[in-house]
Amino acid sequence: MNLQEKTEAKWDIQLRKGTLELVILAALKKRRLYGLELLSLLHGFETMLITEGTLYPLMDRLKRDGVVDAIWQQEGETRPRKYYELTPQGEEKLAALTLRWRKSTEDIEFLLNNPGPKTISQRGG
Amino acid sequence: MTDRDTIHAYLKSLSKYLSRLEKADADDVIREIESHIYDALDARGEEGQHASVKDILAGFGAPRDLAAGYVDHILEGAAPPKGFRAIQHVKKGATKGLCFAMELFGYGVSLILIVVGIYKAVAPEDVGVWATDSGQSFMVGVSSIPPGSTQELLGWWLVPIAIALGLATAYLTKRILGVLKEKI
Repeated sequence: MNLQEKTEAKWDIQLRKGTLELVILAALKKRRLYGLELLSLLHGFETMLITEGTLYPLMDRLKRDGVVDAIWQQEGETRPRKYYELTPQGEEKLAALTLRWRKSTEDIEFLLNNPGPKTISQRGG
Repeated sequence: MTDRDTIHAYLKSLSKYLSRLEKADADDVIREIESHIYDALDARGEEGQHASVKDILAGFGAPRDLAAGYVDHILEGAAPPKGFRAIQHVKKGATKGLCFAMELFGYGVSLILIVVGIYKAVAPEDVGVWATDSGQSFMVGVSSIPPGSTQELLGWWLVPIAIALGLATAYLTKRILGVLKEKI
């Protein structure tokens, strides 16, 4: 692994720690998914490669926090699967986190787009 | 072991570590993970990949670690946010320090006792257990001048007793360290 890959890997881990809940809630926005589906969906993105061992205990916590609901369901011949969906509280939380996320990226973008030496005038809000 | 046996053994071990949860909750966790494993096996089979139970189980991690993710909130009120690793780290440091002190003290005492036992066999006049007549204080050890007017108590018995006590102390230390290290 070269230096850049190391930096990227470390960054992904750090960022995931803070954003995983938002990622899960966003993945479940207007969708009902069971664990394996949710995991496969996340694995479609290179920055969201979480393991089964991270996902399932987290889903258990989100359920206890009341932001997701879990329902066992069996369709036809398949084995029963536990589907997750957002609760109204989960939708509210997702909306709030979405706003904060957008604000953060906006602020970071602003800094990146305004390098020195000129000073940054204090922006209102 | 067949795939089914491997999966069964994994889930059984997980179930053991989940015993702190309510039975219904633990069963629900097991059922969900079992469903995932078999679904994942089928999915990989359909894609023509070699479906390896070992790879799938590796994603879940060791049963004990996986269970900890579910059980931690019971022990600590809520699973600590990931950012709180620093506190865990400090706790770990303290326990490591404790382990080291225990190791040093336990094996140190053990070594001294054994050395006293052996030394008694080499230099019987200089080694012994002495007590004052009133019995208010006593001394175990090596002394070229036996403490005045006191009686050496054990004589040759000191050899087996000191060595046995030394070995017992070493064993006890090992057991205590085993428990301490398990907690880390």
